[in-house]
Amino acid sequence: MLAFIVRRLLLVIPSLAGLLVLTFFLIRVVPADPAAALAGENATPAQIAEIRRQYGLDQPLYKQFGVYLTQVARLDFGESAYSRRPVAVDIKQRLPATLELTIAALVFATLAGIPLGTLAAIYHNRWPDTLLRILSVGGVAIAAFWFAIELQLLFAMDLGWLPLRGRLSPGLTAPPVLTGFFLIDSLLAGRLDVFTDALRHLILPAFTLSLGGLATITRFTRAGVLETLQKDFVTYERAQGFPPRALIWKFVLRNSVVAAVTQIGLLFGSLIAGAVVVETIFDWPGIGFYTVQAILTADTKVMLAVTLLIGVIYAIVNILVDVVHGLIDPRLRDDG
Amino acid sequence: MLVLAKFAKDKPAVLGGLIVLMVVGIAILAPLLAPYPGDVSASHLLMRLKPPSWEHPFGTDNLGRDILSRVILGARGALMIALMVVGISMAIGVPLGLVAGYTHGWVSEAIMRVTDVFLAVPQLILALALAQLMGPSLQSAMLALTLTYWPFFTRIVYAETRRLSASLFIDALQCIGAGTLRILFGHILPNAISPIIVRATIGMGFTILVAAVLGFLGMGATPPDPDWGLAIAESRQYLPEAWWFSTFPGLAIFLTVLGFNLLGDGLRDIVDPRLRRSR
Amino acid sequence: MSTWRRVFGLAALVALVAVAPPAMAGPPGVLVTGDNLPANVDPHQIFDVPMQFYSLNTYDNLYRYQGNPPKLEPWLAQSHTVSADGLTWEFKLRTDAKFHDGSAVAADDVVYSFKRVLAIGKGPSGAFKPVLKPDNITATDKETVRFKLETPYAPFLSAIPIVMIVNPRVVQAHESNGDWGAAWLASNAAGSGAYQFDASTYRPLERTDLKRNEAHFKGWQDNPKAPKEIQILPTRETSTRVLALLQGSVDMTDSYLPTDQVERIQKSKGVHIEKNTSMRVFTLRMNNKKPPFDNINARKCFAHAFNYDGFIKEILKGYAERNPAPMPNNLWGYPQDVKGYDYDLKKAKAFCDQAKAEGAPINRAISIHIQSQLEQTNQAAQLFQSDLAQIGINLKIISDTWANITSNTGKAESTPDLWIHWVSTYFVDPENWIGQMYDSQFHGTWKASAWYQNARVDELLRKARGLTAQAERQPLYEEATRLIVADSPDIWVYNTVEIRGLTDRVKGFRFSPVGSGGEMRWVQLE
Repeated sequence: MLAFIVRRLLLVIPSLAGLLVLTFFLIRVVPADPAAALAGENATPAQIAEIRRQYGLDQPLYKQFGVYLTQVARLDFGESAYSRRPVAVDIKQRLPATLELTIAALVFATLAGIPLGTLAAIYHNRWPDTLLRILSVGGVAIAAFWFAIELQLLFAMDLGWLPLRGRLSPGLTAPPVLTGFFLIDSLLAGRLDVFTDALRHLILPAFTLSLGGLATITRFTRAGVLETLQKDFVTYERAQGFPPRALIWKFVLRNSVVAAVTQIGLLFGSLIAGAVVVETIFDWPGIGFYTVQAILTADTKVMLAVTLLIGVIYAIVNILVDVVHGLIDPRLRDDG
Repeated sequence: MLVLAKFAKDKPAVLGGLIVLMVVGIAILAPLLAPYPGDVSASHLLMRLKPPSWEHPFGTDNLGRDILSRVILGARGALMIALMVVGISMAIGVPLGLVAGYTHGWVSEAIMRVTDVFLAVPQLILALALAQLMGPSLQSAMLALTLTYWPFFTRIVYAETRRLSASLFIDALQCIGAGTLRILFGHILPNAISPIIVRATIGMGFTILVAAVLGFLGMGATPPDPDWGLAIAESRQYLPEAWWFSTFPGLAIFLTVLGFNLLGDGLRDIVDPRLRRSR
Repeated sequence: MSTWRRVFGLAALVALVAVAPPAMAGPPGVLVTGDNLPANVDPHQIFDVPMQFYSLNTYDNLYRYQGNPPKLEPWLAQSHTVSADGLTWEFKLRTDAKFHDGSAVAADDVVYSFKRVLAIGKGPSGAFKPVLKPDNITATDKETVRFKLETPYAPFLSAIPIVMIVNPRVVQAHESNGDWGAAWLASNAAGSGAYQFDASTYRPLERTDLKRNEAHFKGWQDNPKAPKEIQILPTRETSTRVLALLQGSVDMTDSYLPTDQVERIQKSKGVHIEKNTSMRVFTLRMNNKKPPFDNINARKCFAHAFNYDGFIKEILKGYAERNPAPMPNNLWGYPQDVKGYDYDLKKAKAFCDQAKAEGAPINRAISIHIQSQLEQTNQAAQLFQSDLAQIGINLKIISDTWANITSNTGKAESTPDLWIHWVSTYFVDPENWIGQMYDSQFHGTWKASAWYQNARVDELLRKARGLTAQAERQPLYEEATRLIVADSPDIWVYNTVEIRGLTDRVKGFRFSPVGSGGEMRWVQLE
């Protein structure tokens, strides 16, 4: 087992190295000259040249890349060209917001997707199945940026049930940072009001973000349950007169949920990318929002760091999924 | 014919197929169907932001252009992007997958590791970065989508090729001295075609959606292109008063992507009832 | 049994979430604004409209613009004198101003701040670098600062408010590698202003809280109801920003409210509109070095093809004033008799035909760059596109960003054929507009991106820059403006009416074109 994990980890190294090279060279072709933007309005060409020198933007590419590699090794992503703050600090501040949103979306997708998928399988090829299938495919098909605006109009404006934007109401201060997750920190601080407020702010963005995952988990649960229902031991139990409902609960779900859970690894990457759009519309102060800002201002260091970060998260989650998979199903271990 | 009969029983898939046919029809006949084909670039300031009426069933936009016409004309662009992206991705991904799957050793390893690298790059973020550095345009959006989509084909074809090349008939072909190219393109590819088609169909819907996101973020299509995502981006300023401005392009995206996904889903059920991983 | 408990638990949670009162505007005394934040909060590194908002509240300057039309009023300085040759300027400071750490604002601190601006050499230094050497900024005593200029420079006094005074004792403590504390001050503050920056709440471009500085030299007797706290919460999406205002979760939008939203805010209860004529000229730039724009008839053709009235009346709903010249029409030096160009496609066609006859490549694909985040630039470009199409000109719209465009305007070859921007008020002097836009010595800066060259205009502008009396300068600027308009190097559309949405609990809003009404100490919160 240990050998399997080690081998899986080693396989990641060339991927990450490739990622590093790819992102760096892609972004270094940026025609937008951050030096000019840095110098600001009214700057003279001499001022711009001075800034270019100061930030090492005039060095040859391979040197810039060498500097970049040593910095990454020290987890030092440099300083944002605009905010003048260490990128690592900004990312550390924002990552929990994105993780909280993503995990909330994932939890919702799982909690709703597994029952819905089971339901669809039980009513296989009857109308609830067809309806759920159209709905779940629709969940993937809907443009999140459009749907989010419609949700804001309905729930925040017309009904006034939920807040429009942000992570917390303007009057409240964030709980002391322990995990960076407002829902957890507020409870640890004993602030039920902050907890409620944070939860209310989380609902619309998390729901919007979860749609794609919800559809996928529903579909895979349905497939898993259908497959398990056809297995011999289920037929046997059924023949024994085991009540169908208890049967589903006791045997089928446990065996079929595994298939759906492995989807989480794949979903996680797309959810983080989806957060770019959702965070922009809901002013959610996370990594996605940060990325869009960086792209609009051609802030190369931030773009590099974020792309790398998301690539690494994606790789880690996939390793975890593989390892968990390996634990559940030893046959997979040989396959790498 | 068995396949067709099976497909016909699958109501959601049939629905998806009909939607796709409709969208393709609209895209082909767009200039004939659109009531005001000139509204791609024309502007009528006095007709700004009029609600749906008989003259303008979907209302008019911020420059007084007929939204129905623009939604119809936008279908062509959406399909073109999707076809180009999926087509080029297949052209890159399929041969690489065949080679990597059929050979063993460093070439195969190298291809699959490079594929992994591209799979690990967050798609939307790469697309955004590329759009930024090449200047926002349809070309850069398409390049970005292609760069991130070909690995999916490589992965599928790789897996299929590995499975098939272990099978007896390939062994037999090798024994009678058939050429590698002939085995790959004459025997392995035709057998791997079903999952490729499924992936391509779903890829069409997916590409339309991501292209719309890029248009929405101002990183894809540029005005006056009747792009659906761009229209929604422009409509945000006029909400909630001019609800029709965002609603109809939004519905167009939704229906088109839904059509492709239902169709792809149905095809997959036929090709491989056990479901593959999807995206 | 356990199932039921779970259902009850879930129901209770849902009730808690649904019934909890929706959080409305901040608690009493807290003003929440949707204004944008500058990219970082060092007033010596950044110089744009969001920075004006931030620094007017947290820092003090020697003189300050107040009201509309803006008047220069003594702030940290009580008075100033200037020598007859216009080279030596002395500013006398008031003695009761204190930094947020309690230390007094003294002449040395002013000297340090100006030197720091010059040393960092970014945006705010542009107005001073050509005429001011760091060694020529001195403190003659504790309350007097002396500047000795290289050449006479009339706009010097107008530009003085650009420099915010920082506390050297705090900044120097955080210096690293001789960076003048630039890294530290980018997310901290060292000011004396009416409000104090709270670093613990600062998230770049996302949020900042400011606390009222009770010890500010102006005191608060004149406005006891001023906000105790200001929360700056920028909102990316216009629709979200307006929804948040209507819902009451922010008290103020920024000053770029799209005109289409005005009616909606006017119709809604509890919110209102502040609209003020500003000094911000909407300009379509032409690259005079690139054919066909090196041909005057081609430029006139384009100038006649923009639907000024349609844009102002229909798209902007009349919330703007036609401004047919590069200078704002409410500033001295604007010749009141200037006519400019009108929308007339027949004339445009005639000019284009003439240009074509002269060999100008009118029919090549011409591109216009817009700023993707500013919808109005897009609307103007699309309108222009459809009118030009009628006279057979093919205009291509390219969505671009400020950062990208301004880095491309460094060279004539990379400057777009056409691009759109506003020229805002950085200081109130014709120099801010025609001075820096059309004097050929500024070629390579975004402001001079028309690449216009006219020896007579250069001469007039340089002469006007060297004189100190407004009465002498005025006719020079008027003549220069007439010449420039006759050459039609750019397309000037309107002078902005700035529109801001506010909740009704915000009273006493004061507007000044400098800072777009962002100085919050005058506001009363009910």
